[in-house]
Amino acid sequence: MLIELNQVKPEPIPKEMVARSDVWGTRLNIEPKSFTLISAHSGKGKSTLLHLLYGLRNDYSGEASIDGQSVEKQEMGDWTRLRSQKIALLFQELRLFPKLSAQENITLIPESNPQVPSDTEMAERLGMEEFLSKPIENLSFGQRQRIAIIRTLRKPFKLLLLDEPFSHLDKKNEKLSSSLIEEIARANEATVLVTSLGESPPLPFDRTLSL
Amino acid sequence: MKQSFSKSIIQSCLNVPGPRRELWIASLGCLIGSTLLILAIQLYQDTSSLLNEKEVAKNYFTLNKKVEGGALVNLGKNERTFSTEELNEIKTLEGVQRIGGFTRNQFPLTLYIWPSGKVGLGAAAKTDLFFESIPDEFLDFVPEDWHWDENSEIVPIMVPKFYLDLWNFGLAPSRVEYPALSTDAATGMPIELFIGKNRETTLEGRFVAFSKRINSVLVPKNFLEWANKKFGQPEANDFLFLWKEGSIEGPPITRSTLATLRNELEFKNWEISPLENPAERSPATQALLEGKKKTGPSRIILEIEDNPSTSFTSHIQKKGYEINREFPEQDIIKKVIQTLFLGMVGIGALLSLLSITTFATSFRLVVAQASEQAKNLLLLGFSNVQVSHVIFTRFLKLFIFILGGSVIAGYTLKSLLANQAIAYGITINSGISFQTFAYIFVYGLIYIFINQRVIEKSVVRLID
Repeated sequence: MLIELNQVKPEPIPKEMVARSDVWGTRLNIEPKSFTLISAHSGKGKSTLLHLLYGLRNDYSGEASIDGQSVEKQEMGDWTRLRSQKIALLFQELRLFPKLSAQENITLIPESNPQVPSDTEMAERLGMEEFLSKPIENLSFGQRQRIAIIRTLRKPFKLLLLDEPFSHLDKKNEKLSSSLIEEIARANEATVLVTSLGESPPLPFDRTLSL
Repeated sequence: MKQSFSKSIIQSCLNVPGPRRELWIASLGCLIGSTLLILAIQLYQDTSSLLNEKEVAKNYFTLNKKVEGGALVNLGKNERTFSTEELNEIKTLEGVQRIGGFTRNQFPLTLYIWPSGKVGLGAAAKTDLFFESIPDEFLDFVPEDWHWDENSEIVPIMVPKFYLDLWNFGLAPSRVEYPALSTDAATGMPIELFIGKNRETTLEGRFVAFSKRINSVLVPKNFLEWANKKFGQPEANDFLFLWKEGSIEGPPITRSTLATLRNELEFKNWEISPLENPAERSPATQALLEGKKKTGPSRIILEIEDNPSTSFTSHIQKKGYEINREFPEQDIIKKVIQTLFLGMVGIGALLSLLSITTFATSFRLVVAQASEQAKNLLLLGFSNVQVSHVIFTRFLKLFIFILGGSVIAGYTLKSLLANQAIAYGITINSGISFQTFAYIFVYGLIYIFINQRVIEKSVVRLID
C-alpha cells in the first residue's frame, strides 16, 4: 500500500518538533512493500502517526492518504473493512483481553489470513506454545507482546503498523519475532511501518525516518 | 480470508455484570408497565364490545299507570292496563327505540326454596310470589339455561341480584335455618313451584341468573304463556258489582258466577257495574254477551336512546304514568370501568416509557462497563454492528423474557377478572385477543428498536 503524507501536522505536536521532523509538515511517500522505521524518543508522535493511519484520530492538518484514498474521508464502515482486511496494527498497549487465554486472543480477529503459518507453529517459533492455554492476565508483558504479534500477523493485511513491537523482548525473541514478521509481510506483499525509541530492530528497513 | 472467531468468545469478553440495580428497576418497570398495558388494552376492547352491544348501550325504563287508593278500593279491581292506542302513542315518542310488555302469571303461585340444596332437607323459605316475563331482547343478558319447553323438568327463573343481597344481608343473618348464599350456591337451590289455590300442580324451578337490570321475577315468556293457558284464572281481575233493584247486592262476583245466575227469574232486570266505576251500570244480560274485554299489558319496558327527551317526559307527566329507570348504575359502572381502563392504558404506557428510558440508560451503562473490551474489538476490525449485536442480544433475551412474563401475568389477571365479572352478570372471554397480541407486537418492536438504536449509538461513540 502506498502512503502519502502532505504537510501533515498533528495538533498536539509542538511547532519546533514539527520543524525538525522528517515526517510532520513535509511531503512524504512511503512506497508499497517497503519496510520503514520511524525512530524517535517518547512524545514525538510515533503512535500518533500509526493511529492516524489506522483512522483513530483526526486532530491534524494536512493531507494523509493510503492508496490514494484520503484517510480523513473514510467512513466508519470503510475503516471496519480496512481494519479487518487491509491494515493490521500492533498497539503499544497491546489491547489483549486479559480474561481470555492466549489462544482465544489469537483467534479473536474478524478475519484471518489462511496463508500464514498455523497459530501453533507461530507460537512455537516465538517460544509461546506452552502458554497458549493460559489466560493473558497470567503472562508477563514480554509474553503478551509475542501473543499480540501473532494475533496481528494472523490478520490479512497490506499495511502492517507495529508500535514499538519489541519494547519488552530480549534480543533473542526480538530476532525470532522480526524473522516471522518479515516472512509474513513479504508473503503478503505488505508495506511495513515500525516505530522504535532509537534502536533499530533486526528488520530489513528500506529507510529510517526521524520524527 | 476466513472467519476465525467464535461468537461465544466475543460474548464472553463483553460479558460484564452491568448495573444490577438499574437493570432490576428497568425489568420491574417493564414487567408492570407491559402487564398493565396488555390488561388495559384487552379490557378496554372487552368493555367496548360490551358497551357497543345494543342492549347494554341503551337506557331502559319501565312504565305503568299510577296505582291510587287503598287496599279496599283496589281489591278485585281490574289492572290499569295500556290500550293499543296508548302503546302506539308511546312507541312514537322521541328517543323510544322499542317497547315490550310484561306478561304476568294469572294463577296463584307459591314458592318453596330449599337453601340446603335438597328438597325436604332443612328449612324451606316459603313465599307467595308472582312471575313476569318480557321479550328476551330486553334482558341484560340471556343466560345459558334460559330456555323452556313442555318437556323441560326445570323452570328457569331470573331474579334481581339485589334479591340475593337481601337474602344474604337481611334474611339469612336473622334466621339460623337460612344460610348465606354465593351466586353459585343460589343457582343450585331447588325451588318447588306450587300452582293453584290448593297447590294442585307442583313444578321444579331454579334460579339460573341474577339480573342487574330488570326489577322483577322473570321466567321465559313461552313458559308463562303456557302456564297461564293451563292454570290461569282468566277472571282473576274480572269482578263486577251486581245490582238488584237499584242497590248493590253482596260482594263483587266474577263474570262466570254471573253466568250461573242467568236462569234466575229476575236476571233480566239485574244490572252490573265495573268495580272501578260503580256508577257505570249496564244490564247483566249484556255483560254476559260482551265477555271480558281483552286488555293490554299493565307494565311495559322501554328502550330509550340516551336520556329521555323533554317531550317524552312531559308526555309521561301529562298521562300520569309512573316511570322507573331499570338499574341505570350498571351502565354508569361500565362507563366508569371503561374510563378506568383508559387510565390504565395511560399509566401502562407511561410506565413502559419510563422503563424504556431506564432500559436505555442501563444498557448505555452496560456498554460503558464493557467499553474497554468493546473498543478493543472495534480496533481489531470488528464492526460496530457485530459488537452492539452481542449487547443487544443480551437486552433482547431479557426483554422477551419480561414481555413473555407480562403476557402470562396479563392472561392470568384477565382470567381472574373475567371470573369476577360473571358474578356481576358481565360475560367476557378469559383469553387475550389477537388484536391485543398485535398491539403488543408493535409495542415490542418499538421497544426493541429504541433500545437497539441506543446500544448501537453507544458502541459507535466508543471510537467515533
